[in-house]
Amino acid sequence: MKPYRAELMVCAGTGCVSNGAFQVKDALENEIKERGLENEVRVVTTGCNGFCGVGPLLVVHPDGIFYQLLTTKDIPYLVEEHFLKGRPVQRLMYTPPEDKLPVPKMSEIEFFKHQMLIALRNRGIIDPENIEEYIARDGYTGLAKALNGMTPEEIIQTVKDSKLRGRGGAGFQTGVKWELTRKAKEKTKYIVCNADEGDPGAYMDRSILESDPHSILEGMIIGARAIGAQQGFIYIRHEYPLAMKRLLIAIDQAKEYGLLGDNIFDTGFSFDIQVHRGAGAFVCGEETALLSALEGQRGEPRPRPPYPVEHGLSGYPTNINNVETWANIPVIISRGAKWYAEIGTENSKGTKVFSLVGKINNTGLVEVPMGIKLRDIIYGIGGGIPDGKKFKAVQTGGPSGGCIPDSLIDLPIDYESLKEAGSMMGSGGMVVMDEDTCMVDVARYFLTFTCDESCGKCSPCRDGTKYLLDILTRITEGKGNMEDLDLLEGLSKVVKETALCGLGQTAPNPILTTMKYFRDEYESHIKDKKCPAKVCRQLNIYTIDEERCVTEGHGCGVCMRECPEKAITGEKKKAHKINQEICVKCGACYDVCRFGAVIVE
Amino acid sequence: METNTFEPKIVGFLCRWCTYQGADLAGTSRMEYPPNLIPVRVMCSGRVDPSFVMQAYSEGADAVVIFGCHLGDCHYQEGNYKAMRRYHLLKKMIEELGIEPQRLQLEWVSASEGERYQKEVSRIFSEVRELGPLDLNNGKAQSNG
Amino acid sequence: MINITLNGKKLSVEEGMTILQVAQQERIDIPTLCYHPLLEPYAACRMCVVEVKGDSKSELKTSCNTKVQEGMVIETDSERTLNARRLNIELLMARAPAAKVIQEMAAQMGIEKTPFPIENPEAKCILCGMCVRVCEDVVGAHVLTFEERGFERKVTTAFNMPSEKCIECGACAYFCPTEAIRVEDFRGREVLHSELTLGPTTAIRIPFMQSTPNVPFIDKDNCIHFKTDKCKLCEMVCEPEAINHDVEDTFKEIEVGSAVLATGYELLDCSNMPQYGYGRLDNVITSLEFEHLCHASGPTGGKILLKDGREPKGVAILHCIGSRDENYMKYCSRVCCMYAMKMAHLVHEKVDAEVYEFYIDIRAFGKGYEEFYNRMQKEGTHFIRGKAAEVTNAALIPEEENKLIVRAEDTTVNMIRRIPVDLVILCPAIVARKDSEKIMKLFGLCSTPDGFFKEQHPKLGPVSTDADGIFLAGACQGPKDIPDTVAQGAGAAGAVMSLGDEVAIEPIFSAIDEEICVGCKICIGVCPYDAISYVEDKKISSIEETLCKGCGACVAACPSGAADQNCFTNSQIEAEVSGALF
Ligand SMILES: Cc1cc2nc3c(=O)[nH]c(=O)nc-3n(C[C@H](O)[C@H](O)[C@H](O)COP(=O)(O)OP(=O)(O)OC[C@H]3O[C@@H](n4cnc5c(N)ncnc54)[C@H](O)[C@@H]3O)c2cc1C
Ligand SMILES: Cc1cc2nc3c(=O)[nH]c(=O)nc-3n(C[C@H](O)[C@H](O)[C@H](O)COP(=O)(O)O)c2cc1C
Ligand code: SF4
Ligand code: SF4
Ligand code: FES
Repeated sequence: MKPYRAELMVCAGTGCVSNGAFQVKDALENEIKERGLENEVRVVTTGCNGFCGVGPLLVVHPDGIFYQLLTTKDIPYLVEEHFLKGRPVQRLMYTPPEDKLPVPKMSEIEFFKHQMLIALRNRGIIDPENIEEYIARDGYTGLAKALNGMTPEEIIQTVKDSKLRGRGGAGFQTGVKWELTRKAKEKTKYIVCNADEGDPGAYMDRSILESDPHSILEGMIIGARAIGAQQGFIYIRHEYPLAMKRLLIAIDQAKEYGLLGDNIFDTGFSFDIQVHRGAGAFVCGEETALLSALEGQRGEPRPRPPYPVEHGLSGYPTNINNVETWANIPVIISRGAKWYAEIGTENSKGTKVFSLVGKINNTGLVEVPMGIKLRDIIYGIGGGIPDGKKFKAVQTGGPSGGCIPDSLIDLPIDYESLKEAGSMMGSGGMVVMDEDTCMVDVARYFLTFTCDESCGKCSPCRDGTKYLLDILTRITEGKGNMEDLDLLEGLSKVVKETALCGLGQTAPNPILTTMKYFRDEYESHIKDKKCPAKVCRQLNIYTIDEERCVTEGHGCGVCMRECPEKAITGEKKKAHKINQEICVKCGACYDVCRFGAVIVE
Repeated sequence: METNTFEPKIVGFLCRWCTYQGADLAGTSRMEYPPNLIPVRVMCSGRVDPSFVMQAYSEGADAVVIFGCHLGDCHYQEGNYKAMRRYHLLKKMIEELGIEPQRLQLEWVSASEGERYQKEVSRIFSEVRELGPLDLNNGKAQSNG
Repeated sequence: MINITLNGKKLSVEEGMTILQVAQQERIDIPTLCYHPLLEPYAACRMCVVEVKGDSKSELKTSCNTKVQEGMVIETDSERTLNARRLNIELLMARAPAAKVIQEMAAQMGIEKTPFPIENPEAKCILCGMCVRVCEDVVGAHVLTFEERGFERKVTTAFNMPSEKCIECGACAYFCPTEAIRVEDFRGREVLHSELTLGPTTAIRIPFMQSTPNVPFIDKDNCIHFKTDKCKLCEMVCEPEAINHDVEDTFKEIEVGSAVLATGYELLDCSNMPQYGYGRLDNVITSLEFEHLCHASGPTGGKILLKDGREPKGVAILHCIGSRDENYMKYCSRVCCMYAMKMAHLVHEKVDAEVYEFYIDIRAFGKGYEEFYNRMQKEGTHFIRGKAAEVTNAALIPEEENKLIVRAEDTTVNMIRRIPVDLVILCPAIVARKDSEKIMKLFGLCSTPDGFFKEQHPKLGPVSTDADGIFLAGACQGPKDIPDTVAQGAGAAGAVMSLGDEVAIEPIFSAIDEEICVGCKICIGVCPYDAISYVEDKKISSIEETLCKGCGACVAACPSGAADQNCFTNSQIEAEVSGALF
């Protein structure tokens, strides 16, 4: 490869692309050409950097300068200043919320500083569509080692020793699962990569698929060797076309390089991978439902036992692992189990990728060592809560997880602690909530999702989640009573312990945790008919501060025009009034009044 | 018009399994037909020795008829085929002798075909009446040499 | 064997059993809704949960699909289980308030009302998936499926349209525990259980009560397996493993010394008589179809119903359809008068309807028959002397609207009558079977002019035939009723039995005069029975008397005059010819 003076790594993750990363890239290339720099400076597209909240973004190597929120308009100036004149542009750098001074270097930015990249080791560094760049970063050395120097048993032992646990949610020991599949009687065996990532707001799997597809392929080939599988499948979510494209390119390249297909590395070992596009339901991410979908049937869970390791795809032993789980494998093999097991806590080893979203300054993907304190994520990496609001709770594990309150801010993040707190690791979603969040509404929101996504096969989940949602809705509308709380709790428990698959078994978690930590909020919805966070509009009373209306707004009348029910009366320069009989509490007046004259109680 | 009053003598060989019973049926059904055909009961049309036919002519029969079962229905499987083969040869032979071929006939009548028996006998009767008596000495046999 | 503790009782059970199976063995009742022993566990209703106690934690598991494991401690009635089941049944009560199983199960648990809102008080389906699974996994027709997900899930067909793939086996309705599925025909009439493959007349069945042998057979036309390649439920439940779907019909040759033909009769095809509307007008049926309708194992289970399911108010029975008729069969079919009266009696017995018999003459000649006729007259059957001329649906007066009108000349009063009825039963002529020609050829038989097999002699040989060892019984010889059939059958059987070991041969056989025979062997070639052999040392041919059937072919063929036939000797025939011409 020809050396360049500078390499401009333009993030081409889905977030940045949708904000115009490709236009920025084109502009960069044009500008560089115009300035005659094309032999010195090269533009490279990379996978997602994780800091999606500030895209499109660009990292300049080798100096590691990080530019954010780029537009095509910024490009001529940037090229001229930085790449021609050698003066980095401060205006386009990241500035922490509470600071005035920008942070030029990527490694210095809080968001990146606390992270530890294993699964995301190549993000933003390589071109995901070029296998040579992956190989240049020690790619496929794990595979070479596994195939040439290790027996399948040794590979499994290494994975077992690393104590890697499944990143798809349940956290089952990966090595143990491999061993079970290997020991299953049937000769024909399959492995599957679960890339159906269905949790709302979660996109760590997509990020890996897009930024480093070869890491998954390598993990799967090693796994196939260890387990004795002849065929692998990647079940990828329908909504991930870019990831799909990059995977297919990666597979073609790997085949071309003899890393996939017949007689890999001349060892006589053959293995092939097929990519299967998902059907689009959340529950298809559940392993048995995924297998049904792969078989061409309705994507519905089946009773377990029998588990897939014994009776999986078409009845053959099948090992299913999550994308992130697979991506960890090559590093574990090449650097050894001991190295990996030193990261993390007693029972949760290695790192975990989280998608940090919600009421937090730095949103994006973060990979952190297990055991990191919640506080370090929220206030360190995340840069705290915007607008100086108070942190209230964080929801982990997606719709199947629970809410962890402010009081548990020092909770170490690992499988066991999260479970104890009533939540779960799940796939790694992390939604941060501030004081303006109503916890009953949060529970209702997640139940709306699970109820909608329930496949309807088993009655507790199908009918139970529907009635749970009914009760929650009733409470948020001020129609609940105290018996509802008992019913809510009783039904939640029964659904949790009797549902057929993980969806139903975890669906009540948001209710149970919010009831545990924020019972007072439920009670005030029921007893006082008030929503403390003023989110549940049906409980709000909208009135107009007449004085403010006249003095500040001169009776502007915007509210009157916006009110869909014509509940507001008044004249110009005079105080306006809301007729409570007619008001449907849509909150439109509150949203449009620029003078703060509409009051919510 | 002069009416033909010639009463021919006709010898009929009747298979006992089919035509003989058919004739019986015609009789019990009180069907009318000329009495000129005198039936000789044989076990099978295949039993009819050509010499019987020749004997009949020589002893004054104006015609001879062999009745058997329909082809395929022979009680003895194939007797009627044998009769048929002989019939064709006999026909050639009597022609050589100057006897009109119509004076030898072969008919298939089954046990249930009383009506058919009646019709066939009536037909043969009128044909032979048309032909007139068989004169073996002065007839065409001589002239044909 | 595996050791477990079930409700405190230590048990040693077979490996591979599910908790539910063990419980059932122990007569412990666990409620189930989606479990069926013939289907794979589906574990969707979650009613069968039991508590499985572990060291640190105990879990609720569905017993229908959870296999027992060494050391398992199981409680089927713990408070936790009962609580879960109670809430679950309350959920199902809200979903399917009209389902009887659910009501009963709830009542058993002491629950009267569900705390959850009922959307549709008529709803029955509990989404147990029995129907979908049986259609998919057992029947293999792939017609039923689920639509939508979550709360909106429902059972449907592809695109919610009537499916061409449905083989109308009714398995879904049969397996549905809630009666949510019913099978109806395109007119919306509920299809009778008996009309379905899984009804009383199933695809595997004993053909009828008196059948011999009295064992089930597989009706390939209706068996699901032959339509979809699946099912084979019968194989699964048949413990002696006696069922084999793959056997093909085979032909077996049995050597016998004699045979009794009892091939019966056919009815004249009435569709060739347009004046009676058979095949054109609804509710014009033949007597045989009526017999089928009346029979307990028939399509209506023995009820006399019209095509639209109503009971008839008027029934006409038309005698002599094609019998005693110059244009069809000249003979009398002998049985119709009596069975027609029997049918009148059946109609009176089963429905409230007027019955009209249209007859030429009533022929009640048998024992007790005339008495039966008199009884029918007293029962109120209307006897109209006059052959029905026509059946029509063209009404002339209001009373005839939507009726079938039978037109006939009533010869007792000399007038044309029109009788409106709902059901017309034709009594067609009894005719020889279409294949009787073939059978006659096969056995060397003849027929009488009406086409029935001819007996050897109407008076002296009524059961034997012209073919040695072939006997007749029943209507194949001519129309007759059951008593006559049975009598003739017994006669035929007797004749067969009396044949014994020794065969009496007719005295008519041929013989060869040793003195005259020149050994030309011509006779050997013509004998159809291989009765003639060549005697090497004497250089002559010789006839085996017992093999000779006496056709005389050899006699006619013998050029030397050595062969001759008993009873029909050459000289006898010659004398006969001479006599005839004398
Ligand atoms: C509508 C109706 C009602 C009647 N009601 C009465 C009544 O009440 N009382 C009464 O005494 N009589 C009644 N009869 C008359 C009765 O049906 C006959 O007397 C009786 O059926 C004659 O019996 P069968 O055995 O000769 O012939 P069938 O009953 O016709 O039996 C012949 C059998 O031979 C079989 N067969 C035919 N050909 C072959 C072959 N080549 N190889 C093998 N099997 C063959 C046929 O399948 C059939 O099973 C009624 C008839 C009709 C039409
Ligand atoms: C409702 C539901 C949805 C799931 N969705 C996903 C998913 O999107 N991606 C995933 O990897 N695992 C998902 N899982 C977890 C899988 O069932 C399975 O445990 C996982 O793929 C196993 O891989 P691992 O051992 O590597 O975690 C889901 C589970 C449930 C119950
Ligand atoms: S229709 Fe009946 S069998 Fe089918 S799912 Fe509903 S309740 Fe079950
Ligand atoms: S396969 Fe067996 S059980 Fe199924 S319909 Fe046929 S006979 Fe009945
Ligand atoms: S019977 Fe076990 S879940 Fe329905």
